[in-house]
Amino acid sequence: MAVRIPNTLNELPASQPRFVGRGIRRVEDASLLTGRTPFIDDVVLPQMLHCAILKSPFAHARISSIDTKEAEALPGVVAVLTGEDVLRWSYPAQSAPEGWGSHCMATDVTRFVGEPVAAVAATSRYVAEDAIELIFVDYEPLEAVADPFEAMNSDSPLVMEDQGSNVMMDRVFNWGEVDQVFSDAEHVVREKFRWHRMGANPTETFGCIAEWSPLDLSITLRGSIQSPSMFALGRASTFGLPPNKVNVISHPHGGSFGGKGGSRGSDITCMLSRKADGRPVKWIEDRIEYLTSGGSQAWDRHYEAAIAVDADGIVQGLDVQLVDDIGATGDMYGAICAAKPLAAFTGPYTIQAARYDLKLVATNKLPSGPYRGMGPPPHFFVLEQLMDRAARLRGEDPSEFRRKNFIRSDQFPYTIPSGNEYDSGNYGEVLDRVLELSDYTEMRANQVKAREEGRLVGVGVASAIEPGVFDWNAYAIVGMQGTGVPEGATVGIDVMGGVTVRVGFALEGQGQYTLVSQLVSDFFGVVPEAVQVVQLDTQSAPPSFGPGGSRLGVSITGAVLGACEKIKEKMIRVVASLMQCEPEQVRLLDGKFGVEGVPGAEMTVPEVAGTMLARSDLLPPDVDPAPVATHVWTAAGRTEPDEEGRAKSYLTAAHAVHVVQVEVDRATGMVEIQRYCLADDCGTRLNPATVEGQTDGSVAQGIGAALLEEYAYDEDAQPLTTSFMDYLLPTVFEVPEIEKVAVVTPSPFTPLGAKGCGEGAIHTTPAAIMCAINDALLPLGVQTTEVPASPRRLWKLIQEAQS
Amino acid sequence: MKPAPFEYAAPKTIAEALDILGQNDLDEVKLMAGGQSLMPLLNMRLARPSLVLDLNHVEGLDGIREESSGLRVGAMTTKRVLEDSDLVRSQYPLLWESTVAIGHAPIRNRGTVGGSMVQADPASEYPAAALAFDMEFVVMSSAGERVIQAEDFFVTYLTTSIEPGEILTEIRIPRLPPGTGWGFQELARRHGDFAIVGALATVRVESGLCCDPRIVLFGAADRAIRVPAGEACLEGAPPSEASLTVMGDAVFDAVEDPLSDVHASAEYRRDLARVLSKRAMSEAMSRAS
Amino acid sequence: MSALVPVKCHVNGRVVETMVDARMTLADFLRHELGLTGTHVGCEHGVCGICNILVDGQTTRSCLMLAVQAEGHEIRTVESLSDGDKLHPIQEAFMEEHGLQCGFCTAGFMMAICDLLENNTNPSEDEIKDVLGGQVCRCTGYNTILRAVKNAAAKMGSAGA
Repeated sequence: MAVRIPNTLNELPASQPRFVGRGIRRVEDASLLTGRTPFIDDVVLPQMLHCAILKSPFAHARISSIDTKEAEALPGVVAVLTGEDVLRWSYPAQSAPEGWGSHCMATDVTRFVGEPVAAVAATSRYVAEDAIELIFVDYEPLEAVADPFEAMNSDSPLVMEDQGSNVMMDRVFNWGEVDQVFSDAEHVVREKFRWHRMGANPTETFGCIAEWSPLDLSITLRGSIQSPSMFALGRASTFGLPPNKVNVISHPHGGSFGGKGGSRGSDITCMLSRKADGRPVKWIEDRIEYLTSGGSQAWDRHYEAAIAVDADGIVQGLDVQLVDDIGATGDMYGAICAAKPLAAFTGPYTIQAARYDLKLVATNKLPSGPYRGMGPPPHFFVLEQLMDRAARLRGEDPSEFRRKNFIRSDQFPYTIPSGNEYDSGNYGEVLDRVLELSDYTEMRANQVKAREEGRLVGVGVASAIEPGVFDWNAYAIVGMQGTGVPEGATVGIDVMGGVTVRVGFALEGQGQYTLVSQLVSDFFGVVPEAVQVVQLDTQSAPPSFGPGGSRLGVSITGAVLGACEKIKEKMIRVVASLMQCEPEQVRLLDGKFGVEGVPGAEMTVPEVAGTMLARSDLLPPDVDPAPVATHVWTAAGRTEPDEEGRAKSYLTAAHAVHVVQVEVDRATGMVEIQRYCLADDCGTRLNPATVEGQTDGSVAQGIGAALLEEYAYDEDAQPLTTSFMDYLLPTVFEVPEIEKVAVVTPSPFTPLGAKGCGEGAIHTTPAAIMCAINDALLPLGVQTTEVPASPRRLWKLIQEAQS
Repeated sequence: MKPAPFEYAAPKTIAEALDILGQNDLDEVKLMAGGQSLMPLLNMRLARPSLVLDLNHVEGLDGIREESSGLRVGAMTTKRVLEDSDLVRSQYPLLWESTVAIGHAPIRNRGTVGGSMVQADPASEYPAAALAFDMEFVVMSSAGERVIQAEDFFVTYLTTSIEPGEILTEIRIPRLPPGTGWGFQELARRHGDFAIVGALATVRVESGLCCDPRIVLFGAADRAIRVPAGEACLEGAPPSEASLTVMGDAVFDAVEDPLSDVHASAEYRRDLARVLSKRAMSEAMSRAS
Repeated sequence: MSALVPVKCHVNGRVVETMVDARMTLADFLRHELGLTGTHVGCEHGVCGICNILVDGQTTRSCLMLAVQAEGHEIRTVESLSDGDKLHPIQEAFMEEHGLQCGFCTAGFMMAICDLLENNTNPSEDEIKDVLGGQVCRCTGYNTILRAVKNAAAKMGSAGA
């Protein structure tokens, strides 16, 4: 049955939506605030064992022998797993690019520090950790490579010997007349940039409980899993099982941001359970494991980039060369972060031609993975630095230089050179609003005064696009297949009129269960508290991807409203039969079905549901008596990528402009954020409070990226930031008050006009802060090109300027 | 990340504690005060004692008492007690500043004064405060009591001159001479982190000239250090920007071999020693009367 | 296995008297022995503050204390905050201000805030930040947590007045 999903709030069957569009309290909070929400480490199963994993201390070494006898003899130890078992029972992981996956545990050679080498299942985590100390491994250290440029040399050690090279991918994409616009340019601004490795670090690490069923060869895997259906496919592939033999039960988790990881640990616990005759095995990754070998390291990038600007100051071309250090394997999917910039390559600007020279390189570092934003944040950092330089070259204010390069509101839908289509926007309005909010003119005047006093005060203005509602086709260039990412929901109304919505994803923090409750409340005229949202496992759920790629808010809205529409259609037929009228005369409004032209002929939604379920004698013979429907939503109009990777991929394009004021201490290199203002437009805000929450949190992560967070390695690929003493997350002292203003340009293409907004501000924040720092440094005649702008780096730059 | 197995003892008296020490292989025993440094090491299995001797139940090791010469602080007194003490805040403001700069409230609630001293982290505030105040450390062993001067107490990275079998029981903190101005500066990546470098300064100004200047650095060497060369530049000099510049250069020259790590290169630390000692001394000059 | 040692303490107002593994952390004891899983563990090395609980009313990292060290002390965890089906003012304030997203760190924040507000219902911005600064939240960016503290302070101040 084709359904039409409302594209605006007015199309909801409510005279005035009471919940959608309002910042209502979250239905998930009472349980979280009282400590009753079951996170994975809170779960205890009968006979459960605990896993500890022995990790490689070498970035590159051959394993000559492993002796597990003493560990096996330790009281409390039930199973010990080594590479030998792993070779017997599992396949190497799928990867992007294809062929760069490894087993979950080193089988002959270790390729990064922290790679699993052996694992134990024991009666407690304490005993399991005792046992791994009794496993004796002889390593033959091999030369490691930590630098991607060295790794590309022909004499470099090979990370994966079978590949014959460390270059995972080397391709140049040309979109439009790039050479022409660069040769015609009035100015070409070119610079090298470095974005150091950083990543997600949710407050809860990964955890799982695996049960191997020896009789029917199936797996039950509970865990803090962001994308349950993908995770089930991954495990099925590892073990050569049909996907329906892997049941993934995701638990509410303490954030993810793309960086939950966990595939290696899950495969290891599955095999430990198999060795332990099917007893459940729990593994809770500890923080040091997470930092050294978890899912958290992303975006280790070396850029050289240029823009071509014509005589009118219009940017005509963008040329980006990226060497992306993916780490030891491709099975954590860091490569898709290098592909995603295609969805918004030229940002909010009318740049007509672009080139992407992309090299993905393997080194002996932890395989890189996804992180909030999935790759564009460093790309926009680069683009925005170039925009600032061009503006300066022309003596134009950075905000006005951006404005004249913006895509105009009458140009939407707008196709960018790299193929994606932006749905809608009003970029000039967003800029106006943030300039007003920040009192930009006054900010600049204060900056002049501060400079006169010798203070390094800077203002940054940066603008970026957040591609929303991700699609696999955006990652085709690194080998991901498919178009469309379906998300389903089942809505059911019980005999008393209670509404239950069944979904395929776990709570993660974005408030999606609240959103689901808001939607069905306004659709059927109930209150959110009366709505129950139930999470299904992968064997029970409709097709679902879950949160990720700024997608779920839009997708689940489509799925829920689609299911509601289907129920409404069924109910209309029931009502029409009972009221002896035509279905076309029946309307749902504010929870009641009425008959056009017959005042007082009304039935409430619970009455209709009750009739359907408990009065079959009253129903017409052809009606389906279930006030239940499932709808699976996927974005319409997505296209297959062409040979240059161009496709309509991400459905929506949210937009933001941030204005930041910083002061750099010229003696110490410390940066203080003095003001943080932003305006953004993510279409209809289904719950403004949760949207703002996403924005705030994403600004904080952007501040971490710009100033604090970095996974450092030495030249032997030994990690140097292995605890929270060294990997620095922003605290309340580093995150200022975030002043915000919203512009709403609904999407013409989505349910209720909402756009993806979950990844949000991190697309813009690092760029804005770096622009502000460089603005502050201007009087010294130096510019920083390295993220994070840690005090030691800025101090060095200032020293060089002053000497 | 769970501790390796150990035995546990919680003596009630210092005699009992010393007795337990006497009966065990001293290399295998770890004394636990607040545990805010030891517990992470236990959890990471970087410390692997066979016995943890918990001092939290030993009577008479906590509390602050003021005598004419200064404060006597029990080794097991928590930082929170100093932070909450009006006496410390009003009469020993440099000690108070050094206290509240340590970590965050939950750490100060449990972390002890003696624990920080014995941990002797080169980047921590209290060893530097010890040198600024010329604190004295009272240690007990089965042989009796001895007193160690601050300048002899801190040996190198995480090492003091306390011998195995000795327990720190009290820290004596002399009052700074009347009219002494003080300054405290530290630079950390984030508020509450271990300092990259920090500086404490004290000085009196008599007849318009600096008198008894003192500069102590932390995070700049393998332990907290005084910088006599910097102090010498100021003795008898006017409390001026020019004097501070000369002093800062002397501090820079004196800090020969600072630590280099992921947060700060050696050159950066060396320059921070100059910058922060000047800022601290400038504060001290303005507070001197 | 380490030695088993006795411990007797009060947890959320009830006497607990048992034997524990000497090496067990207080966080693990509360979560896995007593089933008080509302206290979460974020780093096990004392930096993140997520496992904050109250020991004799003072905020304490439960990963940096041994279970046996609870001997003679009064422990309070997030499970002690609400009274039946009535939320504590701090919990209400977090809900009203959207002071949480994933909720994993929230118990740690609330316990530290409880320590603050039980002693001072009119804290300054600096005093609030000093308490919040000892903990990380990866979701909220802290703006709404700050608002929640002020909201809770107002609620507790007016309740006490």
